[in-house]
Formats: sequence, C-alpha cells, structure tokens
Amino acid sequence: MKKSYLLIGTLLLFVLGGTAFAADPIRIGHTVSLTGGASMWGQSEANALDMLVKKINADGGVLGRQIEFVRYDNRNDAVESVNVAKRLVSDGVVAVIGPAQSGNAIATAPVLERAQIPMVVTTATNPYVTMDQRSGKVRPYAFRPCFIDPFQGTVAARFAVTDLKATKGAILYDVGSDYGQWLAKYFEEAFVEKGGKIVAKEAFRTDELDYRAQLGKMKDLAPDVIFIPTSQKEAAMAAKQARDLGLTAVLLGTDNWGSPDLIELGGSAIDGGYFVNLADLADPDIQDFVAEYKALYGAEPVLPNPVMAQDALLMIVEGIKKSGSTEGEKLADALANLKDLKVTSGVLTVNPEDHNPLDKPAVIQQVDVPNKTFKFVKKYISVE
Amino acid sequence: MFLQTLITGLSIGGIYALMAVGYSLVFSVLNFSNFAHGAVIMLGAYVGLALATKLSLGFGLVLAGSIAGAGIIAVLNERLAYSSLRRRKAPSLYLMISAMGCAVFLENLVYATIGSRFYAFPEFFGRQIVTLGESSVSLLDVGAFVFALAAILGLHLFISRTRTGIAIRAGVSDMTMCSLMGVDLDRLISIVFLLAGGFAGVAGVFLGIKYLVYPTMGWVTNKAYIAAVIGGLGSLPGALAGGLILGVVETFVSVYISSVMRDVFSFTLLIAFLVLRPNGLLGRDSEEKV
Repeated sequence: MKKSYLLIGTLLLFVLGGTAFAADPIRIGHTVSLTGGASMWGQSEANALDMLVKKINADGGVLGRQIEFVRYDNRNDAVESVNVAKRLVSDGVVAVIGPAQSGNAIATAPVLERAQIPMVVTTATNPYVTMDQRSGKVRPYAFRPCFIDPFQGTVAARFAVTDLKATKGAILYDVGSDYGQWLAKYFEEAFVEKGGKIVAKEAFRTDELDYRAQLGKMKDLAPDVIFIPTSQKEAAMAAKQARDLGLTAVLLGTDNWGSPDLIELGGSAIDGGYFVNLADLADPDIQDFVAEYKALYGAEPVLPNPVMAQDALLMIVEGIKKSGSTEGEKLADALANLKDLKVTSGVLTVNPEDHNPLDKPAVIQQVDVPNKTFKFVKKYISVE
Repeated sequence: MFLQTLITGLSIGGIYALMAVGYSLVFSVLNFSNFAHGAVIMLGAYVGLALATKLSLGFGLVLAGSIAGAGIIAVLNERLAYSSLRRRKAPSLYLMISAMGCAVFLENLVYATIGSRFYAFPEFFGRQIVTLGESSVSLLDVGAFVFALAAILGLHLFISRTRTGIAIRAGVSDMTMCSLMGVDLDRLISIVFLLAGGFAGVAGVFLGIKYLVYPTMGWVTNKAYIAAVIGGLGSLPGALAGGLILGVVETFVSVYISSVMRDVFSFTLLIAFLVLRPNGLLGRDSEEKV
C-alpha cells in the first residue's frame, strides 16, 4: 500500500514537473547597443521588440509557451559583442536577435554557430554576416531580414542613373571601413553597367577630417553625383567641404546616413541629398506599426532598427512554429526555408542558399534640412 | 587644379599653424612637448559650442568666451599637473608623460560627462564662397587664415615689445637668473599657458566650425606637432612656416600622388626633420627661441 502511494506521488510529481516545464518561457537572446554611439537605435529596437512580444504572449505565445527576452548591451563593440554572445549561450537561449552592426554581427556569428543557436541580425547589411568569408559557404545559423550591401549599392546606382539622370559619377569612401569599400565597389559596378561613367574614385583614411584635396580633384571632372557610403559624421563633413569648393553635384548616400543628427551636423550643405535606407516612417506599409509605437512610447521609432528587429522576432517565432521545436538545428532549418511570411516591413522569403531575404525593399529618402526630416522618395522591391 | 590645391593647402596649413603656436610657446619656456594641448583645444571647442548653442551667442562672443575658457583650463592644467614637477626640477620627460596623462584624462572626462556624440556649430555666416578663377574657397576659411596670421603676428609683437614679453624671453634663456632678477616665475609661466590656451581656444572654435566637435578631435594636433617640429619647436615664425608647409605638402600629396599616402608623407617628414635637422627650419640655438 505504502509503495503504491509512493508511486502515485512520484507520478504526480512527474506530471506537475512536466506541466511546469511545458509552461517555461522560451528564452530569446537580444544583443543590442543600449549605450554608446548607436544607442539611439538600440533603445528603439528594444522598445519595438517589447511591444511586439507582449502581443504575441497575449495571443498565447508559441507552442503554448510564453516568450521571454534575455537582453544584454553590446555597446556597439565587437569584443563586447562576443562576450554578450557567450553569456547568451550559457543562459540557454534558443535563438538570438541582433547585433545591428555588421562588424559586431560578424564577430558574434562563430560563437553562436558553435553553440548551434540561430541568430537573426537586425540591420547588419554586409554579405559576410551570413556567409563565411574564408570558405565562401553560408553560415548555417546566421539569418537576416534586411537587404545586403550589393543590393543597396545597386539601388543607389540605379536611382542615380534613372531618376537623377546622372551620367558622370564620383565616389568618396573610407578605405579603412569594410562597409565603405564594398559599397564603393558595388555602386561602381552597377553604375557602369547601367551606362554611367565613374570619373573619380577617391578614398580617405578612417578618422580623417579634411576631404578637400579629394573633392578638389573631383571638381575639375564635374560629376553629376557623388556617392558617399559613410556614416552621418563623414557625410556631413564631406557635404560641407564639397559645397565650400563650389561642387554642385547631387550627394548620394547609404543606410548609415539615416541618423537624425545628419541634419544637425551637415546643416544646409547636406540639404537635398539622397540616401538608401531600410525603412521609412512615411512608408505606407508600416503606418500601423508607427502609430502603435507612438501611442505606447510617446515618440517616433528611430528607424530602421525597430522594424527590422520586429521582422527578426517574427521570423524566429514562425521558425519555432514550423519546426515545432526550439532545438537549434531544426529551428535553423525552418528559418532557412521561410516563405511569404508576413512581417512588419512587408512580406519576407528567405533564400536558403545565402540566408538573405529575397526581394527585400529598400527606400530612397531625401534630406530636407529646413523641415528637419527625411522625405520618402520611392521604394524599390527589386532592381531588375 | 594647381591653384585650388594650393589654396586648400594654405587653409589647412593655417589651422595647423594656429595649433602649432601653442606647442611652441610652452616648449620654448619649459622645454617639453605639451601633449595635453590637443585636449585643451578640444575643451575650447566644447566651451565655444556651449556658448553658441545654449546661450545663442554670436561668433565674436563665442570666440572670446572660448579663448578665455581654454586659457583658464590651460593655466589650471599647468598648476595641477606640471607646477609641482617643475618646482622639484623634474626632467622634462616627466612633464611630457604627465601631459600625455592629462590628455587621456581630459578626453575620458568628456566621454563620461558629455558623451561620445558629435556636435556641429550653428552656421554663423551661411555658406559664402570666394571664387578665384576656377578655384573656390569658403569665406570662413579666408577669415580663419587671416585671423590666424594676425593672431600669430600679435603674439610675436607682444613677446618682442612688451615688458611681460621681455620677461618671457628672459625666462626662455635662463630661468634661474630670471627669477634672481625679481621676475615671478610662477606668474610668468601662468601667462605663457594662458597665451597657449587662448590660441587653443581659437583653434578649437575654428576646428569645430570647419569639422565637428567630439571628444577625440584633439588628436588632429598630431599634425600641428609635426608642423612645430618642421618649423623648429619653440620658434613662433617657425610654427607658422611649418604649419603652412605641412598643409600644402599634404594637400599636394593627396591630389597628385594618393590621398591614402598623405600621412605616410607627413610622418616621414617628421622623422626626417628629427634626424637631420632637429632644430627645424627656424629654430636656432635654444637661447634664441621665441
């Protein structure tokens, strides 16, 4: 008799324990810059994710379990990003969102790959985030919802040729930055292919302040457009110096320009410049998201990170649903085969070959200094 | 293109000269390279920025405020970090190490209190361009160049014509003798740092307007240091000549050889001068400095 009580007791314990286990939240890591130069986007990214996860959990979560974030600040630093990745691994997360920057993402990828934990970066656009540069093979556990730099360079070149009617292009880029070097190359290739001519391709070193020597050289060659694939700081200085030299070419940039302080730093010199971005507040497709964010946090989201982070979370949630599992290998397999998933920025299909999204939209924005905003110009779904 | 390159080079050189003066002044009196000068320039820029954005002052008042602010910071820097070393007759190497420490300290202080954000000055004069044939230069650059020359000339006159200037020159040739003759050395050195700080304030405002304001902006003074060495550390006309030469050479290298090679040239020039002509172009014997 006593024995059977014990048996029932043990069974009961198992059942209770089992239910408790099933109700355990699914832990998803979030590596993000909450301090440092990129904190503006990082904070907004965290807000957008918290907003979305509340909704998902209220709807019953995933596989009957709630989702819980484990969030650490990577301070927009590659070494710190690796530390954060290691902590996330030991915390037992099932997937990781972030980092937002290519350099940090490339540093993070091998750590998570060894632990077989899928990562979905937010806005890291360098091709080598999802591709191992040495072997040329796709990284099995790295994914992203954002476009990649070859696409961005092509969009910029196509916009320059077809919309700006540019025939002579010039490029000013940072020779010490992977981002700038690659984009300069992609832009040049696409611009030439579309019938334009690159009359000058000038480099500067990281942390240099004066580009007048390079810009002065361009002036004699009278380009219609100057492509400047740098962050907002260099773009602002280059714009001021170009205008001081009497260069009247249209200035064209990339998603790293998309910081609100571009306008403050560049002043009147940057007015009228165009750049490629991942998302735009005026994009009709994301109006619901923007309104919801504003209602909750009392400010506009700092794009594009919040939108891309939501896309990343929706990808992971769908991956877990499809594979019916939180096991790394199965989840990664499901992520690689996502098709026509409805996400915040639109509809997303992952290319299993390179883990990049197919037909991811890019928007062109124009800097409007008097009104202190970026104007929506047009949206590209593909460049074909 | 030649004329444009020359004009650009001179305008960059003018700013180098303005910064090099601060190095030379301190070197002439205390015989050490004050590497904290770049940090004082950076703080001068932040003082000017605060006056321009928080109090919305005009350019003249911003410049004056920045000169005063950076001057006071430089004097405090000397009082706190150098004076006790100086009184104990520490070798100048110690002073230089202390200066490097100050530079790192001040930079990190700004990181910790103000943050790493970039700031731009408001546009004081709008964008006006002067055109010379095919070449153009902004009015601000012309103004900065003229102002830099005038300030350096003013300093030269101050040192060669006034009583305090004579005391400084006396201190340069022999400090001990100078104090025996009744000159208050502490006061004299404070004046030297006040002057150097004032120039740092001017350089900070011009750098901030031309480029941006951020904690590590003082590192551009590496170039000013090269300029000071080329001209002869401790010589004011040398600082001016060195700054202009370096600015022009750098710009020509960027345009006619390669912009990526520019700093290779600048630093080769520094090494060449230190090896072949350590006194620079215009620095003669130590007795004749300033």
